[in-house]
Amino acid sequence: MSDALQPVPAVIARIVPMVADNHIFSFLPGTPLAMTPGQFVEVSIPGVGSFPVSSCDLVHAGLVASCIRKAGRVTEALYRLGEGDVVGLRGPFGNGFPMEAFAGQDALLIAGGLGMAPLRGVLQALLAERQRKGRIILLYGSREPGSLLFFDELVELSRQGLITLRFSVDFAETLPGPYDRVLCKIGLVSELLDDLDLAPRRTVAAVCGPPALYRCVLEELSLMGIPAARIYATLERRMRCGIGECCHCVAGGRFICRDGPVFTLEQLRKMAGAI
Amino acid sequence: MTDYTFPSAPLQKGVLSDLATTLRETRLLWGPQAGTDGVCRILPLSEDQWPTLALTTLLPLKKLLLPPREELWNYNAGDFSPLPTAEPFAVLGVPLCDLQAAWYLDQVFADDEVYKARRARSFLVGMPCEPGKNCHCDGNLMPLAGDLFIGQERVWALSPAGHAMLQACACNLSENLPLSWPEEIAARRHAVTEKVFHASAESTIWSEEAQHCLSCGACSAVCPTCYCFDMLDDAVLDGSVTRSRAWDNCFFAEHGKIAGGHDFRSGRISRLRFRMEHKQLGFGPLRGQNSCVGCGRCREACPVDIDLDRIAERLSEEARP
Repeated sequence: MSDALQPVPAVIARIVPMVADNHIFSFLPGTPLAMTPGQFVEVSIPGVGSFPVSSCDLVHAGLVASCIRKAGRVTEALYRLGEGDVVGLRGPFGNGFPMEAFAGQDALLIAGGLGMAPLRGVLQALLAERQRKGRIILLYGSREPGSLLFFDELVELSRQGLITLRFSVDFAETLPGPYDRVLCKIGLVSELLDDLDLAPRRTVAAVCGPPALYRCVLEELSLMGIPAARIYATLERRMRCGIGECCHCVAGGRFICRDGPVFTLEQLRKMAGAI
Repeated sequence: MTDYTFPSAPLQKGVLSDLATTLRETRLLWGPQAGTDGVCRILPLSEDQWPTLALTTLLPLKKLLLPPREELWNYNAGDFSPLPTAEPFAVLGVPLCDLQAAWYLDQVFADDEVYKARRARSFLVGMPCEPGKNCHCDGNLMPLAGDLFIGQERVWALSPAGHAMLQACACNLSENLPLSWPEEIAARRHAVTEKVFHASAESTIWSEEAQHCLSCGACSAVCPTCYCFDMLDDAVLDGSVTRSRAWDNCFFAEHGKIAGGHDFRSGRISRLRFRMEHKQLGFGPLRGQNSCVGCGRCREACPVDIDLDRIAERLSEEARP
């Protein structure tokens, strides 16, 4: 094993602003990184610190793309950098989503807030399967219409009939358009499940969002008849090493960074305090 | 049962001085020293110092295997360069409990190139100890690491490196003999089981114990098997940066907190439970391995007398039907 604590230099190749304080940063590492959706890298800004982040896309032309929210000291420093500047990347770490589990099945993706970012990587992987059978359903809840990530892209995919899409927002004075084939509700993302046309026995679910989302959605999916071994969630934690050593991310006795961050509901039920 | 049988030989005249000479030629020697301030520390040994007994130092052996602050890499003008590994060193007078702890750290950092490079340059020499009032070691807990064990009359080779060292000193290892552990101490130990720990989630024992906790982190700092670390950067005016890993502490407020402010372990109760779970049940691949080697340092260090052993005893008692 090579030294997992040693970063490789990566050039910020592209910065694409999304919604307020959420940009997509595309990094070009000096040594190519092979990443699957749900895995993560540690981004180091020398002199400031580091943070873990998953990718929001497949690796194209060696570029690792991450949707990064300006949320703390280190990401604030990243937002002060520009295209052409160098950061360090370590990884990839973690297990990622088992994409083979979705083969021939309906895929139900449920995202809350910034949780859309890693699920967008899953979505891209699903769409990239040329002969894909099975529907793709995306339920995406956010604070307000202006904070919905990848909004135009998702609406376009829905319009092309490639995905079934529903949005929810916590509050809004006016709902985002267009409305054809796109339903937007005011309320919790879990409410989007209420009248969903779903075949639970041939559905695999992937969920990503804040802790509150997991507490209400995961068991509900199980009640709807999706087997607990086919309900996947990716957990967010403080992570400093990425290799199961530093102990910050531990929940239910397991290293979220190394054993996860993607777990099935079946596993999570045995991990006290994980959700 | 853990087998502590190793190749052994009577300690013949001249072996110790040969050992001392050979070790000093190639390594910096460290050993336990009682200071005039009453604190016992692992410090570099002077030319004429050679301990004959192990002492329970304030900070355990981990301070040399996983230094409080260890430089990982240097950044300069777009490049990240690894930093040179430590010079070879030997530690004398290590108690058996700390040799167990070294074995445990070796398992935790089995894939860690920085740790392994430092570890490969260490030479650990165990010696007999005199158990103190807080000691509760267990000769069946786990294997031990180390290279030599030097008793009053015999010497043991714990590793191939130790074996080679003794042969270089013309000491022929004649028979396999078990190391002897302090007697009748292990019986005083208490530990929770998975079942007791999980059933205790709502127990008031946790709040009773945690309400005294000052979150000072002394228990983890002095623990020979606590290894949480954070990553810290030092920037210099010329633009170069050094990243280090530094001991962290699960009692500190930031330990479970993520950007945006959500805290996955808020409050002292959850932190005390976290430490208990880590010590007695283990994390990740080491789940099921109690890592409390019973050195007693945390009992000694805690300013408000919180004692995991006592908590385990109370919880186990409460769980009894």
